[in-house]
Amino acid sequence: MLAIINANIVPVAGEAMPDATLLMRDGKIEALGTDVEIPGEARVIDARGRTVTPGIVEAHAHVGISEQGLGAEGSDHNETTDPVTPHVRAIDGINPRDDAFREFREAGITTALVPPGSANLLGGSAVVLKCSGTIVDDMVILDPAGMKAALGENPKGAYGQRQGKAPATRMGSAALLREALVAAREYMEKQDAAEADDDTDPPGFNAKHEALLPVLRREMPLRIHCHRADDIVTAVRIGEEFDLCYTLEHVTEGQYVTELLAKHRVPCAVGPTLQHGSKVENRERDFRAPLALAAAGVPMCFTTDHPVIAGQYLALTAGIAVSWGMDYDAALAAITATAAEHAGVADRVGTLEPGKDADVVIWSGDPLDFTTFADVTIIDGDVVYERGV
Amino acid sequence: MRAYIGARIYPVDAPPFDDGVMLVDDGHIQEVGADVRVPDGVETVDLSGRVVIPGMVDAHSHAGMWGDGEGDASRDGNERPGPIAADVDAVDSVNPHHRSFASCREGGVTSVMIHPGSGNAIGGLCFAAKTRGEIVDDMVIRAPTGLKGALGENPKRGSGKDSPKTRMGTAALIRDYFARAAEYGRKKDADKDPDPDAGFENALRVLRGEIPFRVHAHRADDIVTATRLCEALDIRYNIEHCTDGYLLAEFLGHRELTAHVGPGLSSRGKVEVANRDERNAALLHAAGVRVCLVTDHPFLDVRYLMAYGGVAHKHGLPFDATLRALTLTPAESIGIADRVGSLAKGKDADFLVLAGEPFRYRSPILSTFVEGEEVYTRQQP
Amino acid sequence: MMLAITNARLHPVSSPAGRGGLLIEDGRILEVGDIRVPETAEVIDARGRPVTPGIIEAHCHAGLSEEGIGWEGNDGNERSDPMTPHVRAIDGANPEDKAFRFFREAGITASQLTPGSANIIGGEQLVAKSVETVFIDEMVVLRPSGMKAALGENPKRVYGASRGPATRMGNAAVMRKWLTRARRYAEKSNAQDPPDFDMVLAALLPVVRGEIPLRIHCHRADDIRTALRIADEYALDISLEHVTQGHLVADLLAERAVPCAVGPSMVHEAKVEMRGNGFENVARMHRAGVRMCLTNDHPVVHGRNLPAAAGMLQAAGVSFDDALESITRAAAEHVGLGERIGSLEPGKDADVVVWSGDPLDARSFCDVTVIDGLVVYRREESGC
Repeated sequence: MLAIINANIVPVAGEAMPDATLLMRDGKIEALGTDVEIPGEARVIDARGRTVTPGIVEAHAHVGISEQGLGAEGSDHNETTDPVTPHVRAIDGINPRDDAFREFREAGITTALVPPGSANLLGGSAVVLKCSGTIVDDMVILDPAGMKAALGENPKGAYGQRQGKAPATRMGSAALLREALVAAREYMEKQDAAEADDDTDPPGFNAKHEALLPVLRREMPLRIHCHRADDIVTAVRIGEEFDLCYTLEHVTEGQYVTELLAKHRVPCAVGPTLQHGSKVENRERDFRAPLALAAAGVPMCFTTDHPVIAGQYLALTAGIAVSWGMDYDAALAAITATAAEHAGVADRVGTLEPGKDADVVIWSGDPLDFTTFADVTIIDGDVVYERGV
Repeated sequence: MRAYIGARIYPVDAPPFDDGVMLVDDGHIQEVGADVRVPDGVETVDLSGRVVIPGMVDAHSHAGMWGDGEGDASRDGNERPGPIAADVDAVDSVNPHHRSFASCREGGVTSVMIHPGSGNAIGGLCFAAKTRGEIVDDMVIRAPTGLKGALGENPKRGSGKDSPKTRMGTAALIRDYFARAAEYGRKKDADKDPDPDAGFENALRVLRGEIPFRVHAHRADDIVTATRLCEALDIRYNIEHCTDGYLLAEFLGHRELTAHVGPGLSSRGKVEVANRDERNAALLHAAGVRVCLVTDHPFLDVRYLMAYGGVAHKHGLPFDATLRALTLTPAESIGIADRVGSLAKGKDADFLVLAGEPFRYRSPILSTFVEGEEVYTRQQP
Repeated sequence: MMLAITNARLHPVSSPAGRGGLLIEDGRILEVGDIRVPETAEVIDARGRPVTPGIIEAHCHAGLSEEGIGWEGNDGNERSDPMTPHVRAIDGANPEDKAFRFFREAGITASQLTPGSANIIGGEQLVAKSVETVFIDEMVVLRPSGMKAALGENPKRVYGASRGPATRMGNAAVMRKWLTRARRYAEKSNAQDPPDFDMVLAALLPVVRGEIPLRIHCHRADDIRTALRIADEYALDISLEHVTQGHLVADLLAERAVPCAVGPSMVHEAKVEMRGNGFENVARMHRAGVRMCLTNDHPVVHGRNLPAAAGMLQAAGVSFDDALESITRAAAEHVGLGERIGSLEPGKDADVVVWSGDPLDARSFCDVTVIDGLVVYRREESGC
């Protein structure tokens, strides 16, 4: 049992609670409020007035799969031998000993969605995991957590430009993506037909098609990387055409298509906003996109796309968004509750509520400020980081 | 003349004061202080509630020469095939209309030192410029301000037939080049009239102490190699990036070196930056190293230099030292402190108006001034 | 043999327009305006139609980048080395390039033939009349008319992956290196013990001595500035070619009165460095007093469409007279033949065009083309 007392609790779901107590038991939040009784056996941490929030959620980070301080040896996020690899799984490529996990814990990031990279049109399945542990299966809380897809410059750069293979253009990318979805759909229909009729044989096993079945059945989202406005529109077109659950990742020029995104209520993970416009397709990168999306009521969260921007600067990104006019509570939600919804794990993390995972952070000051430290990071009720003062 | 009144002013080379007055005329600071009299009839700008600091000086930037989505057509930082490109001059690669200069103004950077890249063991001449203008020559504050050198992984990646394959090879190339430049210099002095060689001329300027050798080095052993090379040549030098510097803090402190520390907010994408630590600037400073915080734009988008300052301060660099590391120390390192880097009588009127105390997200840059002209005004989207 | 063009609406360019005629003898203009037509003269009755000087394409790759052929007809860029001042347009231009026929049919009577812009210094240029012949020498009226040079994207795109230059600063360094070597070669050549013959350096001597202009291809504003900077350092005579972003540095260009061949303005922003390409910006340059002529950089835009380009310049706000001048007299001066061509004046070459209507209107035809006093083209339906 663990209790935090004298805390300024910001649960994100509901009003802040000054001078409050947070009680955790068996890895879950048991109670929070001003008149919570603390059992004798509980370890007590005195927050001394400091702010306590849910653990930060990074909804799009290549932590563990694109490792710190290594070159090609630590780069495992793009299976660039084939533009269509839905059957590869991020879980098979994550190294829990990537030093970035330590940096995440020290920055109060407790949960991350780890997808494959964006070289491929269909890159493979993502997982959501807690940022502490040595065996990845023990860290994972959702697998698969979505199917990574990508449009824009990266697939045609990786294949058309560098390998002389398809896709070489945006239209080629969309065509191959559709082809893969249609082929998987036919496979699914044949399977369903075989099940309904004893005389019909099921199709031969195909790993790629199998991997796409949960997407076609709307059991998990297609998570589509897109920067430029026209790629965002293409992503929406394909998502609607196949009647999928889908999210959009990066959405750098989102400010040009807010109506479309609001109309379809497409969840967007926006970022890495602190990076310069490194390519033609993200040349206009700044805080206009997240602000416009938030103002239009599009469900959005922030991401650093670690390691493009080091994941530990997620809160700093939210702070700068506030300086550009974003509502503080919305900005904090965009790195906690809304990020958890984007990742599909809002039932477990993202807010401080009884029954949810005990992922909690005690901050030295305003969590969004440049100079604030995460003083204590708790995952599943265990203190995984404590800043020695 | 214009008078800016009511703000909290951080001159950097003097203690800060509230309710300050700064008189600006003809692009220069005429007076700055707590009890400066505003002459009659002078236009007054009320900055009550605001904070004024000197325009920031970014001592390591590639503004105008690559990045920001301009593609290969505008990528002009690393000459090939290398590995020695001592004859090139960054001035010839910089496009004043490149969007990175707008980013500089938005980020509060009013002066930059622009470097060639680190793809070559010797990369070319650096120069210092203001971050606004149509024609680069009009922007130049001082040129050249150094000769760029590089150690570590980047020079080894060169594709030329003479490119080094090892760290020892890179050091040997640099040593050899300076030796041949010295020989060329001796021939000239002896009126032997050798064929003119622009690269050797630039290396001679380093050998003669006119400009420093600015050496890119991340890993601890590369930093030490840089000191070994430069001390043997008895030349002025500083270390760019100095990522592992904190592992050698005392060693570097003894040498009274200047370190251009940065970029920040980034992850560790190469083996040689595996030890990057946010406490680096603070630990170097504590050991007596002169620390400048730099962006290496576009690697840290220059719009977020102030946030990087906040992070360095967070991890132990004292407030005053952080502010100085973004202003006067880089101005001194570049050799332009007579003009910029602090708010003092006679200096250029390069300053920033912040919404509040620096290094807080609630204190964004509201306006940027270069030589008294407002070159950036924040617009909420 | 005399040729008279009568009843014309003359646009001499060097003087105001008016009704009149031209008297031509032995390839030269004898009289302009109120002429007396000898009985023995061949007469072309212009019947009120406009008559102008022959149009001049000041920056042209005709003959070197041939029409309707692939690499076999491509002889404009000696891509073996970024420094080839010793190669000459005359050795690569094919008079049988269809382009020259199209020029005759469009009233383009002269063009400066130039190597391309792959190289930092690309080779020697010449000016040619658009006459029909198999002997290039019969076309040449001025050789050398300049030395081609280039900055910006092209050299670094061609050489960046291999030998360099790979950056703009590299472009500048390579140019300076060779100009320095040429200057030194010049000094040593005058001394006691002259150096061994070096073809490349020898070809640069007229440039470093200021005898022929270095004609520097540049689009982006900073490349324009780099060209001027290098010209100052080496005291060169230069012209600037393309100058796409010249409107951003118009005051500087006007102040220095450096000759600019501006264009091709009729293409899209084909490269990053061509952002801002368009007639509105050319008009801005003109208004700022920049010394300029218009070019189509044939074959990027076909040289025969030069009158239409001038028409577009007029649409952007430049007067008819100034627009016509930009493809006649200004172009003649740009290529160094201001004394011989570009206007209708006694003593100048008889390069004349009779038009079916307003010469700058794209719907007008060239009815008759005269070069050096000879009719080289007559449009069938013109009734001439």
